[in-house]
Amino acid sequence: MAGPTATTRPPPWRDVRILRLAFQVGAVAAVGAFLVYLYDNLTANQRALGIETSFDFLDQQAGFRIAYSDFSPSGTVFEAMLVGLRNTITVALLGIVLTLILGTLVGIARLSSNWLVRRAAGAYVEAVRNVPPLLVIIFVNSAALATLPPIDDPERVAGVLLTVREIGVTVPRGDGGGWIYVGLLAAALLGAVPLARWRATVEERTGRPARPWLWGGGLVAVVAVGAWFALDAPVVLSRPQVVDRGIEGGVAMGLPFVAVLVGLVLYTATHVAEIVRGSILAVPKGQTEAATAVGLSTTQRLRYVVLPQAFRIAVPPTINQFLNLTKNTSLGVAVAYGEAMYVTRTVIGNGSPAIQSILVVMAMYLVLSLAISLVANLANRRLRLVER
Amino acid sequence: MFQRGRVFTLAAFLSVLALVGAACSDDDDSSGDSGGDTGEEAATEGGGDEGGGLLAEVQDRGTLNCGVNETVPGFGLVDEQGEYAGFDIEFCKAVAAAVLGDAEAVEYTPLSDPETRFPALQSGEIDVLIRNTTYTASRDGGDGARFLATTFFDGQGMMVRADSGFQSIEDMNGTTICVLAGTTTELNLATRFDSAGLTYTPLTFPDADALGEAFGAGQCDGWTSDLSQLAGQRSAFPEGPDALVIFDDAFSKEPLGPAVRDGDDEWASAVNWALLATIQAEEFGITSANVEQMTGSENPDILRFLGQPIPAEEGAEPEPFDPGLGLDPDFAVDVISQVGNYGEIYDRTVGPDTPLGLERGINAQWTDGGLLYAPPYR
Repeated sequence: MAGPTATTRPPPWRDVRILRLAFQVGAVAAVGAFLVYLYDNLTANQRALGIETSFDFLDQQAGFRIAYSDFSPSGTVFEAMLVGLRNTITVALLGIVLTLILGTLVGIARLSSNWLVRRAAGAYVEAVRNVPPLLVIIFVNSAALATLPPIDDPERVAGVLLTVREIGVTVPRGDGGGWIYVGLLAAALLGAVPLARWRATVEERTGRPARPWLWGGGLVAVVAVGAWFALDAPVVLSRPQVVDRGIEGGVAMGLPFVAVLVGLVLYTATHVAEIVRGSILAVPKGQTEAATAVGLSTTQRLRYVVLPQAFRIAVPPTINQFLNLTKNTSLGVAVAYGEAMYVTRTVIGNGSPAIQSILVVMAMYLVLSLAISLVANLANRRLRLVER
Repeated sequence: MFQRGRVFTLAAFLSVLALVGAACSDDDDSSGDSGGDTGEEAATEGGGDEGGGLLAEVQDRGTLNCGVNETVPGFGLVDEQGEYAGFDIEFCKAVAAAVLGDAEAVEYTPLSDPETRFPALQSGEIDVLIRNTTYTASRDGGDGARFLATTFFDGQGMMVRADSGFQSIEDMNGTTICVLAGTTTELNLATRFDSAGLTYTPLTFPDADALGEAFGAGQCDGWTSDLSQLAGQRSAFPEGPDALVIFDDAFSKEPLGPAVRDGDDEWASAVNWALLATIQAEEFGITSANVEQMTGSENPDILRFLGQPIPAEEGAEPEPFDPGLGLDPDFAVDVISQVGNYGEIYDRTVGPDTPLGLERGINAQWTDGGLLYAPPYR
């Protein structure tokens, strides 16, 4: 064969690169045009029926209150929806943290060598995983309604004040010097890390035990005790008390909030537990055997070989569960928790146009879900095994 | 290879999107549609008009689609036999009797969730909404609904436990109030408490059953709703009606009446006069028991109302009066014989001898000092 022939550009209608680009631009344009057509059709129909088509209602006065918030009836509809979004975010974030803890514990428990622990975890997972989340929330709510004491006869269990309306938790609260104390503690913790690192390198260099934990912990303890006396007991316990028909002091959580949070955590944790269990089982057996062969103890084997690999397998599906939990907060409407969907329904019921209101709340959920995925995916990227 | 795969994926995605889009566009069309029409014309038609109106459609169909509440004792409830019963249900039957001549030709659509009622009306899923719905300006204006004669003049009230010690709303500072979502009651509640300078926590529930459970468990101090609904819920309270008291003062006007979709005047008039017939019949003293007898009345007003031939001047043929409502001239006979007059409906469903025990109050005839006033039938 002769040498390479000079390549001539094909005409645009035969150039695969141009065709590809044209196809994609055309597709996007077609989809966009179709959506515009749908929206036009919608607004035309609404106008014909005499229904409001603009988004002006967002600036109108809401006129209602939202429980457990300081939202006043003179606020706008949009501000009301933002309060709903804030409540959604509160449950979602707290729920994600608690789900992660409970799910991981239950997932590991399912692999326990203790028969009772293994079976109990299994029974919980199978029982809760296979019912709809709405049912779990309503069950938790009804159980709480049926068992908790009335507001005028509260019960105190280990610093938690139980009533059928609100649940008050005793929390430390600073008065005046509180923030200084917290700042000092944080500084001590930050300082303890390099100190412990330094002791660890000393230990490695000299081969003698240099007790990095003791040094680090000691620094924190000294600062904690010293500052406590120097600032004259800057942090006090704030205890919840029933005043009139509500709880003051501590942190008071409305029953709807507790029902949604507990219900969603119980439900989502079963899924996370299954992910954790599956991920641990997915680490090849050879890894365990190899770790045993080089003489690692059971704890070391889990800590350094199995769990890091299992963790990486578990992250992407767990992100999915976080998103599910976030979206399932909309079920809070069933137990009167003032989340985004609840406020939207109230807004619609009070005369705002349904379709526009739902579009607004959809956008809110979209932004929230995308933000959570973004954070989670960034974490995933850092943790991922680099494969070649 | 990889690139081609991507193109295929895109193509698949697009076709799925097109399908979804097609489904959506069907929905859009039907929401601009009075029921039977399809496609594009619905977008421009904007409701029924002469010829293709809802009245003719309902008569062709042979049944009336009535949107009702199924969770309010006395007004709309599914009873032990699975039958719909109550004050609002009776008016569905009255409309069916007037339009179709058969009070039982009704398909009920349960709309206990308040947010579903106007979309159901707008989409043409129901022909008429008779479901303790308050007539307000924004619903008339913004929700595409047209309200007809008020069938029940109500007001919002507050119900508390008898042993709570609360005597009036002024005692209820800092309390938790249970309220149904998506109703005018939330706004009235805010206005009432704020104007009295009281604070409160509203707990808003999607339906009356969830609200009742929360109230029964003591999650809230007060239950606010229309007085008629409170009376219904009180009569069905598990601990007995005496465990609850309803404060006397009403803090809002709640005219409850049926609504139809905007833009079909013929249908609106037909439904309206079916309701007014029950009120007019009571004023005339016509009941389901004596309606047959009344068709032979001497009173020309009654004969005209019942669509009976009116003896005219000598020589002229007696003709029944037809006001041009698109209904049979004697539709009132069907309504009264099959359902009854307003007083009969009231006494049967919510009156003093029922568990609700509601006195007529302002829902009496104008001749008795009440607000019921049917325009003259002539």
